[in-house]
Amino acid sequence: MKTRFLSIILFIGPSITLMFIFLIIPIFFSFFLSLTNFGAFAMYDWSKASFIGFENFTELFKDELFWKALFNTFYCLIVALPVTVILALGSAIMLNREQTYFKNFFKVSYYLTFITNTVAIAIVWRWILNSQYGIMNYLLGLIGIEGPNWLGDPAWTMPSVIMLVVWRAIGYNMILFLAGLQNIPEYLYEVAELDGATRWQKFIHVTLPMLRPTMLFVTVMMIIGYLQLFQEPYMLTGGGPLNSTLSIVLYLYEQGFQYFNLGYASTIAVILFLIIMGMTLLRMRATKST
Amino acid sequence: MRKKKTSFFGQIGIHSVLFFGSLIMIVPFAWMVSTSFKLPEEVYLIPPRWIPNKPTLENYTDLFDAMNFGRPFMNTVIVALSITFLSVMLSSMAGYGFAKFKFRGREKLFLIVLGTLMVPGQITMIPVFLMLNQMSLVNTYEGLIFPPIANAFNIFFMRQFIKSLPDELIDAAKIDGANEGFIFFKIILPLTKPALAAITIFTFTGSWNSFLWPLIIAQDESMYTLPVAVSVLGGQYTERIALQMAGACIVIAPLIIVFLIAQKYFIKGIALTGLKG
Amino acid sequence: MNKKILLSVIVLLIFSVSIYSSTVKIWAMGEEAKQLGKIASVFEEQNPDITIDVQAIPWDNAYDKLLTGIAARRLPDIAQMGTTWMAGFGAMGVFEELTPYIEKSDIITEDHFFDASWQTVSLQDGIYGIPWYVDIRVMFYRTDLLKEAGYDKAPDNWEELYEISKKLAGRKGNYGISLMTNEVQQFFPFVWQNGGRILDDEGNITVDSPEFIEAIEYYARFFKEDISPKGGGGNIIQEFASGYTPIYFSGPWMVSLTRQQTPQIDGKWDVALMPKKESRTSFIGGSNWVLFKTSKNKEDAWKFIEFMSSHDTQLEWYNILASLPAVKSVWEEPALAEKPMISLFGEQLKDARAPLTIPEYEEIARAISRRLEEACYGVKTPEEAALAMKRDIEKILR
Repeated sequence: MKTRFLSIILFIGPSITLMFIFLIIPIFFSFFLSLTNFGAFAMYDWSKASFIGFENFTELFKDELFWKALFNTFYCLIVALPVTVILALGSAIMLNREQTYFKNFFKVSYYLTFITNTVAIAIVWRWILNSQYGIMNYLLGLIGIEGPNWLGDPAWTMPSVIMLVVWRAIGYNMILFLAGLQNIPEYLYEVAELDGATRWQKFIHVTLPMLRPTMLFVTVMMIIGYLQLFQEPYMLTGGGPLNSTLSIVLYLYEQGFQYFNLGYASTIAVILFLIIMGMTLLRMRATKST
Repeated sequence: MRKKKTSFFGQIGIHSVLFFGSLIMIVPFAWMVSTSFKLPEEVYLIPPRWIPNKPTLENYTDLFDAMNFGRPFMNTVIVALSITFLSVMLSSMAGYGFAKFKFRGREKLFLIVLGTLMVPGQITMIPVFLMLNQMSLVNTYEGLIFPPIANAFNIFFMRQFIKSLPDELIDAAKIDGANEGFIFFKIILPLTKPALAAITIFTFTGSWNSFLWPLIIAQDESMYTLPVAVSVLGGQYTERIALQMAGACIVIAPLIIVFLIAQKYFIKGIALTGLKG
Repeated sequence: MNKKILLSVIVLLIFSVSIYSSTVKIWAMGEEAKQLGKIASVFEEQNPDITIDVQAIPWDNAYDKLLTGIAARRLPDIAQMGTTWMAGFGAMGVFEELTPYIEKSDIITEDHFFDASWQTVSLQDGIYGIPWYVDIRVMFYRTDLLKEAGYDKAPDNWEELYEISKKLAGRKGNYGISLMTNEVQQFFPFVWQNGGRILDDEGNITVDSPEFIEAIEYYARFFKEDISPKGGGGNIIQEFASGYTPIYFSGPWMVSLTRQQTPQIDGKWDVALMPKKESRTSFIGGSNWVLFKTSKNKEDAWKFIEFMSSHDTQLEWYNILASLPAVKSVWEEPALAEKPMISLFGEQLKDARAPLTIPEYEEIARAISRRLEEACYGVKTPEEAALAMKRDIEKILR
């Protein structure tokens, strides 16, 4: 039985229309903008912007700050991703044991960080990491470590950003892993035990392979999320000092909404889009081939 | 669930690790709350004081009097509720359509919807800003509310859920002469409560916490949302840490309350998304 | 029935009021915007047919938001405008030229205001704003800590500033001075004091002149030798009170804030003129009023600007926010003249400069601050930083 046309329009129409207006058309528009010199001068009268071909792209590839931003973003991704996976999976495994008590308390306290507003909690972290009055260095001092100038020393700023990123991500991913672990049938472990497998062997040969779908989902989401790093550096350090925490999206925001080089910023957006697509596909292919 | 016994020391070890983890998660919140009740002279004490000697509400009253935090608070409530209501409504309708309607091009259209999931928000930001600017919708509620409504994830999630409901339910109702509207509101929606709860919570959390878009679209303080308002609490002349902490509390507390009440749905919801994805 | 009549009367009333009263929309920033209401209500009393509507923009985002609003022609009637932004936004052709208004005015004349202030409103081909308040930097220092270190006067020149702050930095866990690695408003005075400039009269870029390089070197040395903390810092007032950073440069608002927030150091600190090299030049900033060409309400808007420029309002504004009047006559009031700390700001005003008044200023300032930071962190030598600045500025002016 075919559905009436009117029903289709009424049910699907509004969402699709909004999606076209705010998502799909803008994507193409963005590609187009990246080929123009659209700037503040053209805001009032669009005809003042002109088409400049791939000039923005060649300019961008020569732009020292863009490379810096790219480097910082990948620095975050490459460090934060494995650390998050290890900590989240580790906690999930500990929580998944039958003999673990206070499960709900642990779940809730770990998850709390994820629903928290990033901007607000970054302000709190900025205070915690304050080199002089922050509790971080105070606590480190108690165990005899002289804490660094977290947000003032270019060598320590990115680790500070990553610390906040990971801190926020553990709980959410832990819940995902936990759901994945609970879906592994018990008999697989029993069989392995009969074969005399050690705990580690069971982890390598049963848990990890069975977690592959979860792992794929978790890492893809993380790649997409971490490549869009913005709020943490924006609030903690504003991208500084020495642009040591300038991320791609932060640079895009600066170019687009502080200097109003909208054409140039669109170019950054297009590149980011391509990077995210590329990385995501790469990750998916990696799973397929194993 | 492995039944193998863990030694007593193993148990202690595992629980202390987990407990230490919890501590790391909770301490920043505790420190935020504690500082937000401090007078300036207690803020900068070394060694720090966990419980203020002279707790004060001054920072909170300042926030609402001098900093006019009432306005961004109301804005955030209005914007987050509107986005949540409209998005959940429209996505579940579309989800129903994609799950149960029969028409040509359905799968292709749905693939387009799914495709947008991969698109980072930043790429649409500039064009949408220019469009809204052209329509004089910058610095308005409309500009804050409409762009985030179309949410591919919600549509996908609802479609998956509704797909699993038996077709017979719908067919039987159709034989009785019910129209699509009746079927959707009276039969389908009541059955999707768990899924609705999950996307309601996620959408609300997401729009409450949304930062970059309101930062761009709000021109003056009258249109600021809480995250934007709290981000500029830096202070023109000198930083007031306790005030900033109070601001952070105001942004964070409502969601924690929602979370503690609706914990079950949150955690189930995430688990669902992971498995389906 | 009665209700209906009442309702229609109310509607009629609102309607008639809205016909006869006009609204002047204002963009204002930060604390100024929050306090402006107090002054505006006096104005509204004097002019019952005019309503003032202030839209507040925090200083943090002010430049970006003004740029968006101006670029998109979403404009109020008048706006508060940072003095250093006049040329940049002025070049977008949105400000009303004010000479005809000034000619008719009883209050506003050129010599009503400080010279340095008036320079910030006179762009190439006319007068595009009216000064509101000025902001000037002087040196704040802890008299007690300096005395302990063996100095009973504020550092008077470059050598003394370096020597004293170096000595103060020797106290364990503390620093000698608080400077910022990337703040041009703190850095430019050192350039000017040394006779350096960004552009010379012919428009040549002179950031690689020996004077400019020497200023970078001098400024960066405070960071290289750990005399000043590098970023990540917190509250300047608290750090001043705790002795962590016993010297810093800032504006007049800090006087009252220090008294309010850290009464424990009352009598243990003072302000002094900038340190001398060739001169003691300081940075003059502040805000002006601009009237937008698109305003449909120019008469009333101008009336408000005139009101804000009057002697009495300026004095009142000083009392509210402790920002320094741009109107000369107000400085003779006892509220300013008889306060030694405040009159010192007046003294410093005589040797102060505004940075470049060209449209590209903001971009140039960003480039300089980026390279300056590289010099402060020792990533680049002062010479390299200066050359990089030159390259950046060449690109901007191209």
